[in-house]
Amino acid sequence: MAKASQVQRKPTAARLERLKTEVLDSGLCVACGACVGLCPHVLFYDGQVAAPDDCGLDQGRCYDLCPQALEPNQETRRKGLHALAGQEPNPPLGPYQAVWQAKAKSPDLAGRVQYGGVVSELMCLALDMEVVEEAVLTKAGRRGAPEGVRVRERAGVLEAAGSIYAAGASLAALNLALAEDSSHKLGLVGLPCQALAAAAMKAHQAYPAAAKRLSLVIGLFCTWNLPARGLRALLAAEGVDGPARKYDIPPPPAEVFLVETASASQEIPLAKVREKTLPGCAHCPDMTAELADISVGAMEGRPGWNTLLVRTPTGQRLVDEAVKRSLIVLEEPAQESLKHLRAAAEGKRTRAAAAWKER
Amino acid sequence: MADLTKLIPGQIALLQGNEAIARGALEAGVAFCAAYPGNPSSEILETLAESADSAGIYAEWSVNEKVALESAAAASFTGLRAMASMKQNGVNVAQDFICNLTISGSGPGGLVLITCDDPSSISSTNEQDARFIARLADLPLLEPSTPAEALAMVKFAFELSEEIRNLVVLRSVSRLSHTRAGLVPGKLPGERPKPYWDPKTSYFTMPVVPMHQKMHQKLARAGQIMAQTGFNRYEGPELPELLIIASGSSALYASEAIALLKADQKAGVLKLGCTWPLPAEMLLEHLAKTEQVLFAEEVDPFLESEIKAFYAQNVTQLGIKRFFGKASGSLASTGENSPGKLAAAIAGILGIDWRALDKDYADKATALVTALVPPREFGFCPGCPHRASYWAIKQTLAVDGRQGLVSGDIGCYSLGVLPTGFRRVNSVHCMGSGLGISSGLGQLGRFGFNQPVVSVVGDSTFYHAALPAMVNARWNQADYVLCVLDNSATAMTGFQPHPGTGQTASGQGGCKVDVESMCQALGLSYRIVDPYDLTATQEALYDALQEGGGLRVLIFRRVCALVQGRQGGHPYRMQIDQEACRGQECGCNRFCSRVFRCPGLVFDEASGVAAVDEVTCVGCGVCAQICPAGAIVAQPKEEVAA
Repeated sequence: MAKASQVQRKPTAARLERLKTEVLDSGLCVACGACVGLCPHVLFYDGQVAAPDDCGLDQGRCYDLCPQALEPNQETRRKGLHALAGQEPNPPLGPYQAVWQAKAKSPDLAGRVQYGGVVSELMCLALDMEVVEEAVLTKAGRRGAPEGVRVRERAGVLEAAGSIYAAGASLAALNLALAEDSSHKLGLVGLPCQALAAAAMKAHQAYPAAAKRLSLVIGLFCTWNLPARGLRALLAAEGVDGPARKYDIPPPPAEVFLVETASASQEIPLAKVREKTLPGCAHCPDMTAELADISVGAMEGRPGWNTLLVRTPTGQRLVDEAVKRSLIVLEEPAQESLKHLRAAAEGKRTRAAAAWKER
Repeated sequence: MADLTKLIPGQIALLQGNEAIARGALEAGVAFCAAYPGNPSSEILETLAESADSAGIYAEWSVNEKVALESAAAASFTGLRAMASMKQNGVNVAQDFICNLTISGSGPGGLVLITCDDPSSISSTNEQDARFIARLADLPLLEPSTPAEALAMVKFAFELSEEIRNLVVLRSVSRLSHTRAGLVPGKLPGERPKPYWDPKTSYFTMPVVPMHQKMHQKLARAGQIMAQTGFNRYEGPELPELLIIASGSSALYASEAIALLKADQKAGVLKLGCTWPLPAEMLLEHLAKTEQVLFAEEVDPFLESEIKAFYAQNVTQLGIKRFFGKASGSLASTGENSPGKLAAAIAGILGIDWRALDKDYADKATALVTALVPPREFGFCPGCPHRASYWAIKQTLAVDGRQGLVSGDIGCYSLGVLPTGFRRVNSVHCMGSGLGISSGLGQLGRFGFNQPVVSVVGDSTFYHAALPAMVNARWNQADYVLCVLDNSATAMTGFQPHPGTGQTASGQGGCKVDVESMCQALGLSYRIVDPYDLTATQEALYDALQEGGGLRVLIFRRVCALVQGRQGGHPYRMQIDQEACRGQECGCNRFCSRVFRCPGLVFDEASGVAAVDEVTCVGCGVCAQICPAGAIVAQPKEEVAA
């Protein structure tokens, strides 16, 4: 695939045109959805972002918000956004006030959540406390591909629980919510690219609604993501029968991708899955969603538990209240696990730096 | 168009060129007329259809021009006079039959082919001179210049056809077919014979070579008869400095030009009305009397090339001449002629100082036109279902993301190559060719071709030419999606009926042959969608694109907006909530008027928001589905009234 700097033939200020040249047509889109739902020129359907027309504007949000845009590059953006929040970048895990092993206690989460259920429980609490009135989450849509959904109650949160392993452009739902004539607060559960875009939204001069209304971002750990259609094709090729209910990647040395349907559980060699990952993910340095209020991932060696990074005062208040209400249990993480987590995050950072340099 | 039997013989009437042709056929006692709509020919059959009851004739819209001519030929075989009319592309469609009919010969009933060509391609996909068919198939060719002449020539054509037992071609162009002039109609005939075809008589082409020889003899005989008619005339000085050999409308332009230049003592016009075979005697006579010849015809240098070849054959007798025309660049090789172009050519040759426009005026006019005249592009009507269809196709192919292609065809929807159709169509050629192209693309998967293919065809084109390509796709398992844009009309040419409408030329019911029945018969999977429902259409198309493995059909069914207008109109009154409209901001930038481009939507520069042009908008409601702010509201008309 051509380097973006090669593809760009003539300099153009038109925002959407740059987005297309540098990202969409270069195959670097990770379908985070930051550019979708802002205007009718950008479409998202069944896992694919597309922009068939030109909007012609030289000033616009889409390019500015895209995590994969060339200018400014990711490192510069991230530094700037951390600075705005009064944070030091603090690689490799990003800025945090506390790190825990955590697990949510409620029995109604069993069988629905990926590991410890902390993301779901914290977002439910945020709704309950009215820190947010509506949450933007990700869920499988009509064709099985993920898409953004907006929920206001626990039942809706639980329906969207569980890792999805495919890009669903859920920020589109956030953009649509922000476009409405309303002032109610919004929350987001998103991947690292989405946490970056969300921070950029809040900082953008032409997007005052985002700064006013986006109150909470819970980030998810992520090493890479898959395109929805690519995942669908892979599952079909591997003979997976029926819609998947759960996915998982067990810790090394397993090297498998686990898919559970209603009838069966199947292991696909992880190498096959890695072949299908979104090329754009190779440019992302962020494994733990460094720009979120709270970041949550697996706990190495402890199924049913999460790693929890608390990054901002907003995040801290939420976690404190969750503990106070006995909704979650916190334990000190093992130093070995933290060491591995840092190493993994550092590895992603290094790979991304190389990829950006080549670009 | 009116019932031409109502004209009073001997009383001058104002008739369109096509009406004159129709009246000429009636006066000649034509019994059977068939055609396929095609501008500038359509009014011929339309007029005959309206006159059919009173005249006691049969007038048919056939499914295509080949069938039309074949049907007419059959009538001729039974002794009835018959006529087929078409535009230049129709001659291409009928060509194989013509090239065989000319060997077998026509029947006891005269058979006439009218081709109405379209120089400058005012309403065609090509600019093709159909006179080639006369030379190709060795057929007599008539080129009228005026409606009155067209009427007379049609009558003559039937007589000539019966004399030589072959098809006779009469060629018109837009400027003749659509001009109106006064002429005096003659009497309508009385009885006509009962059709009968003696089973001992056969019409076939073998043995081919001797019959080909006979065909040449027929043409020579036709030339002798045509020389007696007076349709070839010379006007001008005895020994002109410049002889203009012209046919059709160009003959009139030449005469006008000579008058403009006051060159009537220097230039003369040899107006040829019988142009094939070449009128040898007359040409020898007039070529001998001049040293300079200018050829004026449209579009190809047909007479120019043939007469120069004739000249070469007779050069020792005629001596050196200078020839001007398209080869010399005196007249353009493309586009129509005009009085001004003829005047410039003649002035150039004769060294007359002449300019069509005063230079100062010309410069000023050009500057004003450039500055003040808004660009007007072809566009779909407000409410046109094709706009909605192409919108759905564009959006769906975009999110499909595999660089899909759209193979287009002939009809209003040919405009899909223009901004009005979002420039989404990748190819348009002739009737039915869209499916043939898709059929080919649909076989390229084996070479690694992975771009999905969408073929777009209209309902009338479907019956005209698409069916064989569909059978081919089914049989050879070509992989593509066919979208039949069924708007229940042959719209582009004037809403003539076709098999899917169940109506015939006479206005009475015919047997309805609907698109879905054809799909069922071919064992094809199909779905019917309403293009006005953008979401449903896009979802159906997306599903079809993912399916793969052979031909899938989507029938986009929604009546043409103009036809709907005649059937009570559309249900909505469209309004824009100017508070909600985002105007030129990021988040829209005039999406409705600038990208969707329905003429019913305009952008008000002063207020910076969109507005509905209430004169133009028909109230179809589609635009309400594309506004990102939900600012376009479709209010049901009854509510508005109440």
